[in-house]
Amino acid sequence: MTFAEARKYLLEQAKSAGLDAEILATESRTLSLESFEHKLAQITQATQGGIGVRVVKGGKTGYASTEERSKEALGWVLKEAAENAELQSDTGGFLPAGQALGHKDLISEGLSAPIEEKAEAAHELEGGLRQDERTDQVPLTRYTESESEVSLSSTQGAEGGYRNGYAFLLSSLIMRQGESLKQVYDFNFEKEFHALEPGKTALKMIDKTSRMLGAKPLKTGRYRVYFEPSAFTQLMGLFVFMLSGKTVLEGKSRFADKLGQRVASELFTLTDDPLLPDGKGNRPFDSEGTPAQTLQLIENGVLKSFFHNSATAKALGQDNTGHASRSYKSTLGIGPSNLFVNRVRVSHWKKALLSPT
Amino acid sequence: MIQTELVQKILATPLRYGADFAELYVERWQRRGMRTINKEVKEATSGIELGAGLRLFYGTDVVYAYTNDLEPESLLELAETLAKLKGQGEVDAGGAGGLDFRKESYIGLHAPAKPLEQKDKRFRLERLYEIDEGARVSDQISQVEASYLEWEQDVLVANSEGVWAEDRRVRSRMMGLAIASNDTDTQTGSNNLGLSVGLELFDLKDPKEVGRYAGEQALTNLRAKRAPAGTMPVVIGNAFGGVIFHEALGHLLETTSVAKKASVLSDKLNEEVASTTVTYVDDGTTPHGWGSSEYDDEGMKTERTVLIDKGVLKSYMVDKMGGMKTGYQPTGSGRRQNYTYAPTSRMRNTFIEPGDTPQEALFEGIEYGLYAKDMGGGQVMPGTGEYNFGVKEGYIIRNGKIEEPVRGAMLVGKGPDTITKIAAVSSDLATSAGMCGSLSGSIPTEVGQPHLLVSEIVVGGEA
Repeated sequence: MTFAEARKYLLEQAKSAGLDAEILATESRTLSLESFEHKLAQITQATQGGIGVRVVKGGKTGYASTEERSKEALGWVLKEAAENAELQSDTGGFLPAGQALGHKDLISEGLSAPIEEKAEAAHELEGGLRQDERTDQVPLTRYTESESEVSLSSTQGAEGGYRNGYAFLLSSLIMRQGESLKQVYDFNFEKEFHALEPGKTALKMIDKTSRMLGAKPLKTGRYRVYFEPSAFTQLMGLFVFMLSGKTVLEGKSRFADKLGQRVASELFTLTDDPLLPDGKGNRPFDSEGTPAQTLQLIENGVLKSFFHNSATAKALGQDNTGHASRSYKSTLGIGPSNLFVNRVRVSHWKKALLSPT
Repeated sequence: MIQTELVQKILATPLRYGADFAELYVERWQRRGMRTINKEVKEATSGIELGAGLRLFYGTDVVYAYTNDLEPESLLELAETLAKLKGQGEVDAGGAGGLDFRKESYIGLHAPAKPLEQKDKRFRLERLYEIDEGARVSDQISQVEASYLEWEQDVLVANSEGVWAEDRRVRSRMMGLAIASNDTDTQTGSNNLGLSVGLELFDLKDPKEVGRYAGEQALTNLRAKRAPAGTMPVVIGNAFGGVIFHEALGHLLETTSVAKKASVLSDKLNEEVASTTVTYVDDGTTPHGWGSSEYDDEGMKTERTVLIDKGVLKSYMVDKMGGMKTGYQPTGSGRRQNYTYAPTSRMRNTFIEPGDTPQEALFEGIEYGLYAKDMGGGQVMPGTGEYNFGVKEGYIIRNGKIEEPVRGAMLVGKGPDTITKIAAVSSDLATSAGMCGSLSGSIPTEVGQPHLLVSEIVVGGEA
């Protein structure tokens, strides 16, 4: 059975069992090329796919998934999803009203290039990293591309899909100076193969690793800290999850009762935009078929919104922001698309930097 | 799972195109999991994963492909496409079509005493309720999250050297997370038990105990003060305390990094690399261990590997390709998350062996130090062994006594330095389940150690 046939079969079976059902299917293709000592040390190519089912019966929601597309496996999935729904005590579950979502292609020919050129990109990055005499080892250099086809159907009328993809170069560099040994992992992630810059990535990694060589332990204390953008994104991970409606609903967010209140510096504005012209996390609709829209989470330090899917929005009485996220294996969650801290005018920035801590 | 004749044809194809070695890995998983918060089911999921991975060697170059289309024509087409990707054209029309397999199968060393199908989902849910009840040790426990997962994995590994190994792995794990709150603060505590067992998991440890431990830990952290900073002696607790050495020592002993000279412990066999109090073992055969299996993911029987014996480096963890690159004998350490990963050398159940110092004696003579009773997550750079780990439950040691709890402590150091500073090891070895992420994905591994004393570690805390 093909994925399209399996989706259709599951919807029909769900309807005849009196279940509301949503079927999310993903088929993906991946190519990975690993360069070591300028040889193609490992080639990986793959096709993979699976189907995730969400059913609602009597307001109770259940999930199950399968990568096997036999009738037996599909039957097992529906039975398990219905059983899992039975365990729920919450009877407020529902599937959102669906609509025709069309089919979008977000990458077009972005990954089209001969495999030799892609291998060369990995070799070029490794070669660039080995040029510095302080390089001790380059244990990993890998080119990876992936394209996936996401399809969504529901008994409530959702029907659509999109094709998406990306290419990235990943490497690990170990540098030595005297007794000092430092290691860094970094990557260059793009929507299209030709946008990758192996030479520039190598220089950036050498700079990042070499400036740590000879680093001395910092005396414990309170310091003014300057974050490079990539470093700050790691810190953001610590509080962005608290902006998820699901986290709020589960009582784990310190922002829970702070809507409309100041929660950050007035220099801080945080936006999620799934429709950026060159966004790497773009999507036309979320995992439940809600069309994508721009969302201001924090504006000049004031909390404006949480991320929501249909379930968290309904439970908290707020608007659905179209941030449902799930893979075929997972349950309904929440995920940002292109999340960024807005730029601040330099004069404001300097003022903040020069003010006393 | 798949016909012998088809496997023969699949493996023969790449050999015809000049591959030195071909290996087929086929697996089917059935997983279930559930999570509750305050006794309400938040998630209950079930899933089937099914796929195959084909790996070819050309010298020490590797080509790997995976798919979950297991139709015979698709697999044969995949074998041909993959062979042509690297091969130099057809070299021998005969190939290995008549390959004789030495068929081996699991004998149930880790088979469940209580099969998963013996009870329904409601039975598991009731055990989660018990975790919840156990965790409510005080009014300050504001939330309890309990979760459970189980999986059954059937694996076949066959290769062009005649290996045919079938394995079945059944695992289950329960976890409790408690949140304690007062007017000003919120802190957490957690505990889990994961083993290669079935429903007897709940007999081996009372779910209420899992909850109680998490609840007590959350309360301790709620009353804890900020940890101090400085360099000091540290007693690291048993069981999950072993995560530091897993990350900052174990990973440095995998041939994946050793073969590339990307580990500071490369080329150090038979050298003294640790304090003589340290014997470090990676054992894939521990009965019902969370990281145990009868065969590894390359079809080799697992074994007990002594990595460091009384401070001297005796072995690395060696997978097939790692063995080819380094000349060391494989140790049954080839592992992968699933068919989407080619195997690499990985840990199984890794622990520091018990010493002979009584636990109380570790604390004697410490004027001021830290007792890291339970460890949290951290980061490590495998090429350098540099690590930082959070202490999940910590106490100040003052004049040989365990005193007030502290929170927010970070242990910072280099694995290879830290193991030379292990001054004493007690006899209370315990292990704990975890998921280890690396090149070949996220796999179940046990970490473990007895309580041990490190003469000095940099502790990050409040200035």
